[in-house]
Amino acid sequence: MEELELFQRYRQTGDVADRNKIVEKYTYIASVIAKKFVGRGVEYDDLFQVAVLALIKGIERFDESKGLQFSTYITPTITGEIKNYFRDRSRLIHLPRRVSELRVKIKRASDRILSETGKAPTAKQLASELKVTEEEIVRAMEAGNTVSIDNFSGDGEEDGMSFHEVLPAEDLSFEQIENRDAVQSAMRILSDTERQIVSYRFGEELSQTETARRMGVSQMFVSRLERKILEKLKQKLQKSMKD
Amino acid sequence: MKRLLELNLTLQNELMTTVRLTTGGVCSCFGLTLDESEDCKLCVTEALLLLTRNGFQTARVVFCEEEGLQVILKGELREGARENSVEEDISCALLEALVENLSIERDGEGVCAVSFRFGS
Repeated sequence: MEELELFQRYRQTGDVADRNKIVEKYTYIASVIAKKFVGRGVEYDDLFQVAVLALIKGIERFDESKGLQFSTYITPTITGEIKNYFRDRSRLIHLPRRVSELRVKIKRASDRILSETGKAPTAKQLASELKVTEEEIVRAMEAGNTVSIDNFSGDGEEDGMSFHEVLPAEDLSFEQIENRDAVQSAMRILSDTERQIVSYRFGEELSQTETARRMGVSQMFVSRLERKILEKLKQKLQKSMKD
Repeated sequence: MKRLLELNLTLQNELMTTVRLTTGGVCSCFGLTLDESEDCKLCVTEALLLLTRNGFQTARVVFCEEEGLQVILKGELREGARENSVEEDISCALLEALVENLSIERDGEGVCAVSFRFGS
């Protein structure tokens, strides 16, 4: 059956069997495109699945009356979906393959030992069973607690925010307090005029010219004194760091 | 001076892999992101396959600095016959989906050159 005929029939009947005929006819496109994205860290089967889903979505959206070939229409649609998949996937934290495989082995061994003995196995038992160290067993089990920061922090999406929204930002307040203490201590060695210059230049961020105007002195005076102040502060701070 | 790399190759699978690897290196030199770099590698491979399907036995690949990385792939020696396949349409549509500044040149016998830009 021709492309146009297939689509027209599906639009008329809305029958899934008709849609599936179209899917079958164009699955090769999904396969061709999925293969082209292999080697970027995602298995072909996963890519193929994404591509086929995009194909099904594309069939629903395609407007055969516009005269465009379906293969020309569906290729960018599938490509876009695969690229979105890569983008979304890259936001997740993934376990190294070795750890993932060990976790599967641990699960199988645990189930078997539990069914045989009626008791959950210890890490030592599992290590002996799987011929790895106890530390590796513990690490692999802990790795299972790895979550994406995009996961929701509550019991469900309705509960609210994802982990990255609730995790605190880096707290710089202690560092700021220490810096302020050090500066205040260093300021005590300055004269009133020097403190005034520091206040205008670094507190109010005035230019040297404006500072000079407010203090009734020349800009050259401010410049010279500023160099002297910075040198004094530098020596004081270096000394206090050594102490 | 603008950076430039030119390759002349026979269109054989193992050499296409070499070009793919080279493309990865060039993309890295041009500071493309990993995603752009992977797309660029895919486009280079796809363009070379297009030239092969259009009967070319050899091709010239040029990587040059031009508002990012400009890649030009030109068929040189044409001895085979053009394969009229749906895969060509898919290749062209795929290239169009992946790059914005795509140019596909055609002569009387089919596609003869492809060029595109990344990282501009």
